[in-house]
Amino acid sequence: MGADNAEGPTVTRVMVVDDHPMWRESVARDLATRGYDVVGTAADAPGAVRIAAAVRPDVVVMDLQLGSTSGVDATREIVAAAPDTRVLVLSASAEHEDVLDAVKNGASGYLVKSASLDELDAAVGRTADGDAVFSAGLAGLLLGEYRRLHEAPDDAPTLTERETEILRLVSRGLSARQIATRLTLSHRTVENHVQNTLRKLQLHNRVELTRYAIEHGIIDESG
Amino acid sequence: MLPLWRGVVVFRLVAWAVAAGAFIRSWDRYPDHTAAIVLLLLMVAWTAVVTIAYSTHAGRRSRMAGYDLVVTVAFVAATLLTQPLTDLNESAPILTSMWATGPIFALAVERGRDGGLIGAVVISAALIAVRQRFGDQEIFNTTLHLVAGWSLGYAATTTRRATAVLREALAAEGATAERERLSRSIHDGVLQVLAIVRRRGTEIGGAATELSALAAEQEVALRTLMTSRPTSVGDRVDLAATLRLRATSRVEVITPAGKLMLSRRIVEEISAAVGEALSNVVEHAGEAAHAWVSVEDLGDRLVVSVRDDGAGIADGRLEVARNSGRLGVAQSIRGRITDLGGTVDLHTSLGEGTEWELTMPKARP
Repeated sequence: MGADNAEGPTVTRVMVVDDHPMWRESVARDLATRGYDVVGTAADAPGAVRIAAAVRPDVVVMDLQLGSTSGVDATREIVAAAPDTRVLVLSASAEHEDVLDAVKNGASGYLVKSASLDELDAAVGRTADGDAVFSAGLAGLLLGEYRRLHEAPDDAPTLTERETEILRLVSRGLSARQIATRLTLSHRTVENHVQNTLRKLQLHNRVELTRYAIEHGIIDESG
Repeated sequence: MLPLWRGVVVFRLVAWAVAAGAFIRSWDRYPDHTAAIVLLLLMVAWTAVVTIAYSTHAGRRSRMAGYDLVVTVAFVAATLLTQPLTDLNESAPILTSMWATGPIFALAVERGRDGGLIGAVVISAALIAVRQRFGDQEIFNTTLHLVAGWSLGYAATTTRRATAVLREALAAEGATAERERLSRSIHDGVLQVLAIVRRRGTEIGGAATELSALAAEQEVALRTLMTSRPTSVGDRVDLAATLRLRATSRVEVITPAGKLMLSRRIVEEISAAVGEALSNVVEHAGEAAHAWVSVEDLGDRLVVSVRDDGAGIADGRLEVARNSGRLGVAQSIRGRITDLGGTVDLHTSLGEGTEWELTMPKARP
């Protein structure tokens, strides 16, 4: 399970962020029936950041369209304030750029809202364990993003051949287990490769943000 | 257009005031004051008529400017009742003065350049006819009328076109805003409810499962509808958006973020090939099989994959399948992709489903 709780057995503490009350409560209730401790809910980005800081959840289940506020911003701030907190995006499949942005800004997985409760349960569990939750759609987005970065002439991250191969198989709907069988790798190795593709992108994004901040005098180079 | 019409109306009113002022200033030069005053009063009455007409939408759309021209020519002719022709032929002031040029501007605004020129010719001819003279002053006035009619007409036409373009742009913007508003409200309401129905239905089981499946189908259809945008610019079409339209509750379409603009023919062929591969999935892997359509951009090439999680075909049976016509669709798909300068690979094995891999150059061979 995720963060270590000082008080006894580790029950994963979850927070649900969605601007639609009916959906938010439905997800919260479903997760509670699956044994998760739903420690908070929020309807917009500022609320999510504030409540996450107060309740310190292990996993935040985050929608990206939060009325006039953005789940991407909330993801960045929550992960920056508490790197142990993991964000799982649960969103409509439509918002491609938003999903990519959320992942670059620290979300460790993405699930479409049309996923079943079993899938959501498994995804939250894996997110708490520190694994990346990868749908075929997210793999496709990442492949596209690395392609775009590849064409940019700076020190952008690149995928190894093995990583490309694995992302491609994920994007075609194969599960980690199927990929492991096909490539005669261990399941763990496949998971690690997938996580690496995500981490490299997040690291690159942080470097870019810092560079931007220094160039624009938002932060001081010495400090 | 409204400011131009306002200009025409204001000009007419001011011009009448100038005509009245000129009459009072040259009081002594008018032999028949009664006729002149009656004519001035009739002029102000007509000015009122055109002011009202040009200020209303219906009036501007009728042939009012044409009638204005005819009536104004009549007024110019009627000045002969106030001044003897001999005086007018000399340098006597003409009662209608600048007021008579009003129809030139009205016609220019109503009918553009040609209207302005016709008005200028008719009014200039009328003035020349009344004075029975064609000297420097007449040449100067006629030129002025022609230039004014032509340029105002040109400006009116340009303004009209610009207004039409602006109106279209505003309408398009309004449509987009309305679409976004609808999308947002669908996203906030209907979609959430459908998602909840789908989830609860599966949990309850039994007959509710069917409801759940129906809700799931509509959910995907609505999402697809909400995100489908105009996909083409000229002869370039967005392959990603085109393929996304094929998403259903059993078919997932995976694309890079953003647009993938290619020539229309390539997109049509790829889309048709994907469609054939997908109908093959339904036919042979069963209604319950899931399929993934993925598009990968490799810079100069594209890889499109259509994979299903059906039973697949055992290695040894591939030839049998081919002979039994089960792979007949392969020929059609291969034909389309080969025409684009690409290749088709078919991977299948028992228990692993079937995967079509279409690789082709992004530009036409």
